Amino acid sequence: MIYLDNAATTKPSKKAFDRACEYVTEKFYNPSALYKEGYAVQSELKKARSALLSKVADELSFELIFTSCGTESDNQAIFSFAKRGNAVTTEGEHSAVLSPFGELKNRAIAESRYAPLLSDGRVDVEKLLSLVDEKTSFVSVMHVNNEIGAINDINAIAKAVKQKNSRVIFHSDGVQAYGKIPFKLSKDVDLYSVSAHKIGGLKGVGALVKRKSLTLPAYILGGGQESNRRSGTENTFGIKQFEYAAEEKFAGLKENYEKITEYREKLWSLLDKDIYLRLSSENGSPYILSVSAVGLRGEILQRMADDNGLIIATGSACSSNAKMRYSRIVLACGYKENVADGVLRLSFSPENTENEVEKAAEILNTIGRELKNRMK
Amino acid sequence: MERVIIIRYSEIFLKGKNKGFFERAFEKNLQRAIQEIDCELIKQSGRYLVQHFDESETDNLIEKLEKVFGVHTLSLAYETSSDMDSIFEAAKLFCHSTGTFKVEGHRGDKKYPLTSIEISRELGAMLLEYHKGGIKVDVHNPSFTIRVDIREHGRALVFGDFIEGANGMPVGTAGKGLLLLSGGIDSPVAGHMMAKRGMNVECLHFHSYPYTNMQAKEKVVDLANILSQYTCGTKLYTISVTHIQEAIHEKCKPELMITLLRRFMYRIAERHALRIGAQCLITGESLGQVASQTIEGMTSSNSVVEKLPVLRPLVGFDKNEIIERSVKMGAYETSILPFEDCCTVFLPDFPAIRPNLETIKREEAKLDVEGLIEEAFSSIEKIEI
Repeated sequence: MIYLDNAATTKPSKKAFDRACEYVTEKFYNPSALYKEGYAVQSELKKARSALLSKVADELSFELIFTSCGTESDNQAIFSFAKRGNAVTTEGEHSAVLSPFGELKNRAIAESRYAPLLSDGRVDVEKLLSLVDEKTSFVSVMHVNNEIGAINDINAIAKAVKQKNSRVIFHSDGVQAYGKIPFKLSKDVDLYSVSAHKIGGLKGVGALVKRKSLTLPAYILGGGQESNRRSGTENTFGIKQFEYAAEEKFAGLKENYEKITEYREKLWSLLDKDIYLRLSSENGSPYILSVSAVGLRGEILQRMADDNGLIIATGSACSSNAKMRYSRIVLACGYKENVADGVLRLSFSPENTENEVEKAAEILNTIGRELKNRMK
Repeated sequence: MERVIIIRYSEIFLKGKNKGFFERAFEKNLQRAIQEIDCELIKQSGRYLVQHFDESETDNLIEKLEKVFGVHTLSLAYETSSDMDSIFEAAKLFCHSTGTFKVEGHRGDKKYPLTSIEISRELGAMLLEYHKGGIKVDVHNPSFTIRVDIREHGRALVFGDFIEGANGMPVGTAGKGLLLLSGGIDSPVAGHMMAKRGMNVECLHFHSYPYTNMQAKEKVVDLANILSQYTCGTKLYTISVTHIQEAIHEKCKPELMITLLRRFMYRIAERHALRIGAQCLITGESLGQVASQTIEGMTSSNSVVEKLPVLRPLVGFDKNEIIERSVKMGAYETSILPFEDCCTVFLPDFPAIRPNLETIKREEAKLDVEGLIEEAFSSIEKIEI
């Protein structure tokens, strides 16, 4: 089976898993416990926190709170700071941001505003800035788009937003960027969400990076873990495994970036251009290549691919409900419905091989031609 | 004093010499419904009792028994010795502290020293004393009723309300039908209705993978599971009509896609029904509900079924009535999950509403009907529910 759905989740790193196993078998103590065994685990968590944070931000200015997933981090950021006036985000966000934004409106907490996308999937910064005014309390712009792979220059956007209104809290969903895109947070970014399982970690572990001087209210009350902001006994095994997996990914960040860029371009060069239209721009994250089999249904191709040994994702769903059927992001990029209906997302990991990429192209070409023929 | 459940059955009584046959089926179905719970089912004259179960299982047992066709009513009861003090202890458990009530005494054991009226009177007096000032007797329109049934061997059953059962006939007493189960609202209800009349129901589902997805199939498995609570188990067969759809798409008029596909489905269904010993086809069609369910559409489908009747228990129902039944049987929430069981890829914008049989046959002649049916059968899968 060739796995090209790494933007959905990655295969957990076995090496990181083995290393972290001692937190299940021996160092299973509660990190909040006062005896030395518990305290030792607490120290290990501290190391993990520091290691994971330092990869993406300056430890003097930022801190990191462990959460259960990227979605929790996003929710937490939004509901803690989008509390008045209006909140601005983009049409390209993941539902972990869009749904809470919808809720801001439903609960009459703040007005929700959505900035449109450019055709390559990046947010139209000019239009975003035009939505920011003196009443804006919160802005959220995703770092790397999960469907198209477009990269937003969030440091620059955050700076421009703050120039317009310095009181805005700026958040970015970095789930598809962390451990993949060379990047450091500037001080204009207040909050940044990351997730373990997109880079060889486990499901159920995420983190919210925040600027230290920003006060984050407690949002899960209990035993006072995570400096009283997110209570609940820490997932020590998951966190340590995340630390080790991130260590591997960041160690190879640049080589991986280059290798994956080659994969993406190779795959695209091998795909039949009579069937597939490229949606992801060359400037986007190499980890995601989004294409559309224009006029065909991505969902059907996805199942055919699966039957032929290739796992990929689609932006469409077999539904007569237009809202569910078409890739929302692709429509937001300005493509027509026949393009949005045929979206396939091919997403890589450094574990993929060149041979797999070639084989994947072959499968996609075969099934694309076959379906096109059947649908004539 | 022991907590028991009384099961009363309905129409079975009407069946004269066949009574034994109906009772055996009924008892088997009752046993099957409660087989996972540690308890004992015993037969008494004209009713069944469930006994020796843990109190925490009471609601679970009632929920399962309510779904067994043939059950007229159920009552949660206490079995005690038949002296008035014991009866009073049990009756207290059903007696509210306020409101109006009456006691209905019944003396099954005619040797019991008190008559039915005396039992009612005496127990009523004891309860009035117990909730002094709180409750009053009203024999015409009471807010609750306490019932006492004196049995033989010095035993009595004390109970309160009747819980309405599923009624109908025991499944397994009226032959076997093959239900064409889609993923929609109607077909599970149609299966439920035929099971209610005692029919064994097995299910056949058509899919067009990869044009339809795995979730759609999972949904049908879930629906068959829900249905099986009433049908005392079932079997689900799935058959792919992908190639048939593709062939129609390639060779025939697009507006006849549904009409032609349905004719294939009915042909396959009849052959399969005969293979599994089913005596009819069951569908969830309701007249005029969609373009293919006009009388002309039904005629077109029916004309390919040669040996078996096609039963359409919902034919005269409004959608609302069907939904109501679907909700009641617990299938609605699953039925409305948004997975399409018939792919919209090949659906025409304007399907033929009143298809003409001659045109249909002319279009069908362009296809290798036999070959396509044989090929479809090679995709058959069987799922035990």
